[in-house]
Amino acid sequence: MIAPLFLFVLPVFAQETEREPLGRLTAYRVDHVETLDGDALKKAVILVRDGVIERIGKTVIIPDGAVVKDFRGQGWTVMPPFTVSHASAFQGATRGRGRNGKYVGIDTVWLADNELLKDYLSHGVLLAGIDPPGTGIPGRTSVIRMTAHAPVPEAVVQDLHLKLTLDSNRSAKDLLRNGLKDADAAIKKEEKAKVDWEQARKDWAEKQKTKAEAEKKEASKKEAPKKEGSASAAKENDKEQKEEEKEPPKEFTAPKIDSQLSPVVDWVRKERVAQIWLSDAAEWVHWNDILKDRELPWELVLSHTSSHNFHEVVEELASAGVRIDLPARLAMQTRYTRIHINLAAELVDAGLEKLVLRPSSSGVSGLSSWRVGVADLVREGLDKTIALKSMTIEPAASMGQEEVVGPLVVGMAANFIFVSGDPLDPLAEVVLVVEDGKTVYDRELEEQEEGR
Amino acid sequence: MNHFKKLLPTPSFLWTALFLLFLTPWLTAQDSPEPSADDTDAAVEEIVETEESTEVAPPKESPYLAVVGGDIYTVTDGMIARGALLAKNGRIMKVGKRVRIPKGARIIDATGMRVYPGLIAVDSSGFLRGSGASARDGFDPFSLTLDLGLAGGLTTVHGSNAVAKLTRGSLDGMLLTTSPWVKLNWTSTSPASRRSLRNSFSKARDLIRAVRAWERDKQIKSDVGEEPEAKGVNSDHLRLLRGEATARFAANSLKDLLGICDLLEEFPMQSVIFGGREAWACAGRLGRVNARMVLTPRAKQYADDRLNRPSGWSIENAQKLWAAGVEFAILPSQKSISTGGIAGRDLLTLPMEAAFAIRGGLSQKAALRSVTLDAAKILGLEDRLGSLEPGKDADFIICDGDLFDYRTFVQWSVVEGNVVYDKQEMPYFAHIRPRPASEKVLAAVVEALEGESTEVAVEESAVSDVDAPEEE
Repeated sequence: MIAPLFLFVLPVFAQETEREPLGRLTAYRVDHVETLDGDALKKAVILVRDGVIERIGKTVIIPDGAVVKDFRGQGWTVMPPFTVSHASAFQGATRGRGRNGKYVGIDTVWLADNELLKDYLSHGVLLAGIDPPGTGIPGRTSVIRMTAHAPVPEAVVQDLHLKLTLDSNRSAKDLLRNGLKDADAAIKKEEKAKVDWEQARKDWAEKQKTKAEAEKKEASKKEAPKKEGSASAAKENDKEQKEEEKEPPKEFTAPKIDSQLSPVVDWVRKERVAQIWLSDAAEWVHWNDILKDRELPWELVLSHTSSHNFHEVVEELASAGVRIDLPARLAMQTRYTRIHINLAAELVDAGLEKLVLRPSSSGVSGLSSWRVGVADLVREGLDKTIALKSMTIEPAASMGQEEVVGPLVVGMAANFIFVSGDPLDPLAEVVLVVEDGKTVYDRELEEQEEGR
Repeated sequence: MNHFKKLLPTPSFLWTALFLLFLTPWLTAQDSPEPSADDTDAAVEEIVETEESTEVAPPKESPYLAVVGGDIYTVTDGMIARGALLAKNGRIMKVGKRVRIPKGARIIDATGMRVYPGLIAVDSSGFLRGSGASARDGFDPFSLTLDLGLAGGLTTVHGSNAVAKLTRGSLDGMLLTTSPWVKLNWTSTSPASRRSLRNSFSKARDLIRAVRAWERDKQIKSDVGEEPEAKGVNSDHLRLLRGEATARFAANSLKDLLGICDLLEEFPMQSVIFGGREAWACAGRLGRVNARMVLTPRAKQYADDRLNRPSGWSIENAQKLWAAGVEFAILPSQKSISTGGIAGRDLLTLPMEAAFAIRGGLSQKAALRSVTLDAAKILGLEDRLGSLEPGKDADFIICDGDLFDYRTFVQWSVVEGNVVYDKQEMPYFAHIRPRPASEKVLAAVVEALEGESTEVAVEESAVSDVDAPEEE
């Protein structure tokens, strides 16, 4: 019983000893910084105090007593950590199609001792989105951080976006339509209950008032002799009043909403963002058919299937003004041609502002081909800075984690990675991951350990 | 389709439009006299304005689509040589020799080409998913099947118990009807089912008679009691006898076809028979019971030597049925669509199957009806589809030759007034005999503007390179 626990604590300890003492300054001297905030910096210094970037730039005076980590002359690049918007490799279960709003992504994921965490970290990934398995209305997404080293690691965010999927299946459309319909009905029901309650409170207050007045009058009349008939009438009155005297509750309690439906209700109330998974251009048309003119908060997640035909609706997609997440790879125009479609570049050209590129296949192999896929897109026309943003700060923004993974600017948490070259060069490796000013992954050390 | 947006603002296109309006008399107003030199100048000015306006406003905004210069095969009103067709908001407004084209209209130059109503497949597979109304939710408006269907000239298909238009990129106007037919099982191999079907029809007929009698009595007498109840009567069969639905049979052998004729004589109703390989042998009877057919001219059935009567398939099948007044649609042997199949065997080349009926003696006109208007009738949609007439849906195709020629390609397909297929813009057939570019036409325009006589130049320069076979 104790032995496994003990094993558990060991790596945590190892981590502790590597930490920089708090309050101390660390200066990183590097060849190249992709700040993703304006232009890239060459030969720059990043000054970190207490896990926060204090200064960053070409001319930063390094104060005395700062620990200087000099990585110059190796051609390394520093950039914000990678963020995988949908890390399906962690998913530990399958579920079918249906209205399963009560589930969250982390439900099916076992994080303790999960080797994948380290694998992801070794690829420079700090944050990853976890989706609930299944299709239709499968539940809500979660976010995990690869460095969650507690004995029972927890998700950074348990319950984030509502996941909705649309594919060629016809029932998928009914599922969404009925979800919206039922959510509308639930909201209406609650509104009506509130109006009823307010009315009941009002009526009750008025009744109390008239009753008090009547009692006053009666008190003044009491001295006068009573008639026999009126006494029995008063008794009946008392009975009636007693029945009505039940005070409506002071606080309004909304009618209970089915737990499978309640995240949909949140969405309809614009309190939650929905991530809409579309399998091809047809589903975009169907999604608009379902949404009609409703204004709801949503993002798109495009999943290329065999059809590869999102280019048919590029302009409409880009002008929807929502964040779009797609796998980082070139698509073919149809099965019968070899015409490349660079959907990401086409979307950006058409005016898309928020682009997320995720690994095109799940698992660790997908991570290694991720940068290759993005490099393909950049080679064929996608802007490089946009591409790097789409792998880092843009997915983090979608997760509400801008504070964790954001542009490398003053005041930002010192979360960054070192890549041994151009981040989009497939031969370049992630060599160092720094989280809150602490080194949480060092390729050299890891390789030494592995060699031993 | 993004590609098409590029098409209109190109100078050559506008030049072509300008040229056509400038030169050809059928484009001037019907009521105007012979255009004088001044009038012509005015017309040019007007078009120059159009050019400017198309640059400012996106072409999508104009509800008009015009096809000019092509031979228009109306189906119901013969062929209009070098005519024009104007559509607005998905409906045909005008078809004729002289049509005024409004400013800003999208114009397709079909000079040397032929305009036909969109082809109709009375059965298909692969276009629609689901059943009935849910076909809308299962519709993929960008599918390869749909693109190939449009490339093959199809604009409406029946499948999955629904009739749908191939509205590329949209769901609007896609679903036309659901369950167009009531399927009836009437074969010689199952006498029991024939008996029960006849009983059911008898009951339905009795009810109709009883209701009719009751209605008559009601007008005379005051106390006639309740309306006869439809208890125990098959509602589908009742609809059939009331003429509210069409019965669908499947039969190939003469024996079964005659059996169906017997049934239809006893219980007259709208009907469609799929198959009909031996129908030529009883064409007259099929004509008398008003049965409609769905034929596959190349579907073979060898004659049975044991029978002392005509049997087996005949290449003259369609022609004989036509002569007997039977309306029919034609389908290829495969209801799917692909680029890999043998030409003429699937829906990619529906007119090729019909061409074999022409080989067997059927007229071109009748063959055209079999893939357009008569197919629409079989689907009960003849008031909207199947011919090029004002008021009908703007679903048509523009071909570079005779529809039934093996060399002919569909150059443009139009559904609900939207150009949904353009051979040169899609990857499938653009490389095979590319459409003659408008350069020749453009050269003629330049020549015309320089003041030379061009009346003859129009015809020569704008004629397609494809050697279209002579008409019938």
